[in-house]
Amino acid sequence: METQSEEQAVTKPADSGGEGGPPQVAGAQAVRPEDRMTLLLRLRAQTKQQLLEYKSMVDAHEEKTPEQIMQEKQIEAKIEELENEVEEAKTAFEMKKLALDSVLMNNMKQILNLNKLIMKSQQETWDLEEKLLDVRKKRLQLKQASERKLSEIQTEKNKQKDDLDSMENSDKIKTIQQKLETEIQITTVIQHVFQNLILGSKVNWAEDPALKETVLQLEKNLTMI
Amino acid sequence: MSVLRPLDRLPGLNTATILLVGTEDALLQQLADSMLKEDCTSELKVHLARSLPLPCSVNRPRIDLIVFVVNLHSKHSLQSVEESLCHLDAAFFLGKVAFLATGAGRDSHCSIHRNTVVKLAHTYRSPLLFCDLEIEDFRAAMAQRLVRLLQICAGHVPGVSALNLLSLLRGSENPSLEDL
Repeated sequence: METQSEEQAVTKPADSGGEGGPPQVAGAQAVRPEDRMTLLLRLRAQTKQQLLEYKSMVDAHEEKTPEQIMQEKQIEAKIEELENEVEEAKTAFEMKKLALDSVLMNNMKQILNLNKLIMKSQQETWDLEEKLLDVRKKRLQLKQASERKLSEIQTEKNKQKDDLDSMENSDKIKTIQQKLETEIQITTVIQHVFQNLILGSKVNWAEDPALKETVLQLEKNLTMI
Repeated sequence: MSVLRPLDRLPGLNTATILLVGTEDALLQQLADSMLKEDCTSELKVHLARSLPLPCSVNRPRIDLIVFVVNLHSKHSLQSVEESLCHLDAAFFLGKVAFLATGAGRDSHCSIHRNTVVKLAHTYRSPLLFCDLEIEDFRAAMAQRLVRLLQICAGHVPGVSALNLLSLLRGSENPSLEDL
C-alpha cells in the first residue's frame, strides 16, 4: 500500500557566489565586509523569527486537545470559533501598536524640535564668537600700528639728536671756531695797542667827539659778542 | 512509512526548502526551475515528489512549505493528492501547506470541477492558488509568489509567521465559501 515515491532535489547556489551545495555562511572570498555584516544581521533576524515560531509551537502543544470524537459539524464550529479568537487577538494587538506609535511619534517630533533649537543656538553662538574674534583682531592691528608709529617718532628724534651732535663735533666748526678765536685775540691786541697809543700821546680825547667815539669803541670787549 | 512533521528538524542557516507534490512531473520540474531563477536572499531548495509518504532513507532538510499541485484535467492527480494528505502531521496545516490548481484555463478539458478543489482547500484550511503552469508568464508569476510564501514559512521574514500569513490570506477568500 505504501508507494515508494521518487524524490528529486534541486538546489540553488547561494547568491554570494559560491558553488551549489551546502550553504557556506562565510561565503566566497569575494564577499565584502559590508555584505558579511548584512548577512549576519539577516541571519540574526531569521533565527529570531524561527525561535519565536518554535516557542509558540511549544506553547500551543501545552494546550490539551479534546480527545472525544466530535461530529464534523461541531469540529467545524470549533475551528471557526478559534479562528475568530485569533482574528480578535490580532486586531487588539494592532490597535495597541497604533496607540503606542502615536505616542512615539509625539516624542520623536519633540526631540526633533529640540534638536533644531539646539542647532540654532549653537549657530548663533558661533556667529557671536566670530564677531568677537574680528574685534580682537582689529584691536591688535591698531595696537601694532600705533607701536610702529611711536617707534618711528623715536628713531626720528634720535636721528635729529645725532645729527645735532655730529654737527657740533664736526671738524669744520672746530677750525672756524679756532680761527674766530685767533681773530678776536688779534683784534683785542690791536684795540689795546690803539688805546695805549691814544693814552700815551696824552691828548684830551674827551673833547673831540670823533676821538671819544673811537676810544669808547675800542673799549668794547669782543669776547662778549 | 513515517508521517511528515513540520518541526522535527532544526532549520538550516539561510535555507528554505519547499516540497512540490504532484503527479505531473514535467510541470513540477518547470515550476521548480522558475522558482530557482527567482532572485532571493535565502538559499532555496526544491524537492519534488509524486506522492507522500517520502522515503525516509534520504537525509533531507526541514521542509518549510508543501505545495500540492492538482491538475484539473486529470482525476488521478486529485486522488493521489488526497491520499498523500493522510501522511502529513496536523501541525503542517497551520500555514505550511498550499494547494495549487493548474489547467483551469482550458475549461473543456477539465474533468474536475473547480468547486471540488475549493472544498478540499477549505476542509484543510489552507490557501488555494490557481495558475496555468503551462504558460510561462503565469508560471513565473506563480514562482515569485511561491518564493515569497516560502520565505515567510521558513521564518526568514521578521514579523510575519506562517500562521499570520494564513489568516491574512483567509481574509481575501470568497465569502460564498462559508456556505459550503
